[in-house]
Amino acid sequence: MEEDRALSLAREAEVIRIGAEAVVSKLEWNGLKLVSKHRVPKPYRMPELDRWVRDRRTLHEAKVITLLRRLGVPCPAVIMIDRSTSTLYLQLIEGSELKKVLNRLPGERVDELALRLGEIVGRMHLGRVAHGDLTTSNIILDSRGRLFLIDFGLSMITDDLEELAVDIHLLDRSLDSVHHPVRSRFMRNFLKGYSRVVGREFMLKIVEKVKEIRRRGRYVEERRKKP
Amino acid sequence: MVREGGRIVLGIESTAHTFGVGIASSSGEILANVRYVYKPREGGIHPREASQHHSRIAPKALKEALEHAGLRLRDLDGIAFSIGPGMGPCLRVGATIARALALKSGKPLIAVNHGVAHIEVGRLVTGCRDPVVLYVAGGNTLITGYLEGRYRIFGETLDIAAGNCLDVFGIKAGIGPMPAPEEYARRGGKFHPLPYRVKGMDVSFSGLLTAALKLLDKVRLEDLCLSITETVYSMLTETLERALAFAEKNEILLVGGLARSRRLREMIEAMAGLHNAEVYVVPPEYAGDNGAMIAWTGILQLMSGQVVEVEDSRIRPRYRIDEVEASWRRIGL
Repeated sequence: MEEDRALSLAREAEVIRIGAEAVVSKLEWNGLKLVSKHRVPKPYRMPELDRWVRDRRTLHEAKVITLLRRLGVPCPAVIMIDRSTSTLYLQLIEGSELKKVLNRLPGERVDELALRLGEIVGRMHLGRVAHGDLTTSNIILDSRGRLFLIDFGLSMITDDLEELAVDIHLLDRSLDSVHHPVRSRFMRNFLKGYSRVVGREFMLKIVEKVKEIRRRGRYVEERRKKP
Repeated sequence: MVREGGRIVLGIESTAHTFGVGIASSSGEILANVRYVYKPREGGIHPREASQHHSRIAPKALKEALEHAGLRLRDLDGIAFSIGPGMGPCLRVGATIARALALKSGKPLIAVNHGVAHIEVGRLVTGCRDPVVLYVAGGNTLITGYLEGRYRIFGETLDIAAGNCLDVFGIKAGIGPMPAPEEYARRGGKFHPLPYRVKGMDVSFSGLLTAALKLLDKVRLEDLCLSITETVYSMLTETLERALAFAEKNEILLVGGLARSRRLREMIEAMAGLHNAEVYVVPPEYAGDNGAMIAWTGILQLMSGQVVEVEDSRIRPRYRIDEVEASWRRIGL
């Protein structure tokens, strides 16, 4: 029954991503272009527990997005929440994943975007939000050249600097694996923008944490990558 | 009994409360599996007392294993021991004996990672080939699988082990450790939400334990047992599901004491069904700590040339499984 309702609302929906816990679709609703993120029931969990977990995560993600938009971090607005099906309806950002376009951009453009991303992530971190899965596939470059962060499914509101450092570690790993030629100039400019927002001292503290994570060699990048 | 040209390795396990001696052959036969378990008079394992137990029992266990296999020291092709992870004083007993045997017999010494041995004996006795492994025991909670030369840790607990969480809860609730909480859970009906901490493929149980303990005396114990076991098992199953998709494997291997839980297995089987994956469970005699798993992993390492010199055989109490080069997997073993 729950499924029926989610589907009827998203009759024209086109599935764009099937993740470990959610199905993401594109749809039109009253002339508005939306993305729906439906956290699917897990039949192995007790129904009460399953409903509770999905509801809590849906609300958490909506809360984080709302907080971030207040902080001036560009991310898709929450249009509605359907708690009965654990579905989040978000503004559709028309653009491409940074992952798909970064390698084709001219050098100065890469520097600009990296600087801008540094400022965005800096603002998010000042608000003590860790994205939790900050790779170039979760950054959108829209047709007007603006950057947006998406997918806050693993995000956390935390005072633990390590969680914030994990964001930068993951970003660096994704650059290293997919965008190797631009990695160092990207990170240099990223940290410049980041430092501009959070201050040099805080930036150095975070960079030190990133080094610590890397030294521990826990294959964090592999474990956090989403299936 | 053992094919011409086959190898035989003796393995010693002494990471925690078990002192075990096993003998395995390269054809995959377990020729002996002798175990003696130290039982503390009260409370948890005291490392020094456990190590004294191991020292006392070691000569007897060795003798029994060799007799059971009908072999003498000179028939062996290698001496394996668990080098870690585990409790220092306990590890030292096994390591010392293994070094002495290797020097006396002139056979190669093989240092085995305890966690890797759990996985390898699981693969041997269940026949699964390339599984995602959920290793859940009193002291361990991790999700691992073979990827590019090593057993990678996809997820693990960020604080206490799943088994530890349920044991401590049961003891503080006055019903005793597992399986008591699960038995009480069967008579539970009402579910109380408890902190459900899944971070990617990692889990955290300490907040959940604290919250459950706070509810003691406030709600029906059976309901609380139901809530805590369902929450713990769901967290494990969900992270395992993520790891299965991430690693693109279609086999699941359950290792360790908590693998005996009926409800956890039921949940994992339901999840596996969604992904057309097969679930394998290590039978009890090889699920707990034992010498046979060390001997069998010793065989695999011997066949792929992973032996150590006595002077390089210091114990490694914090040895992680992803530090081990699983070179035998590269040659198809």
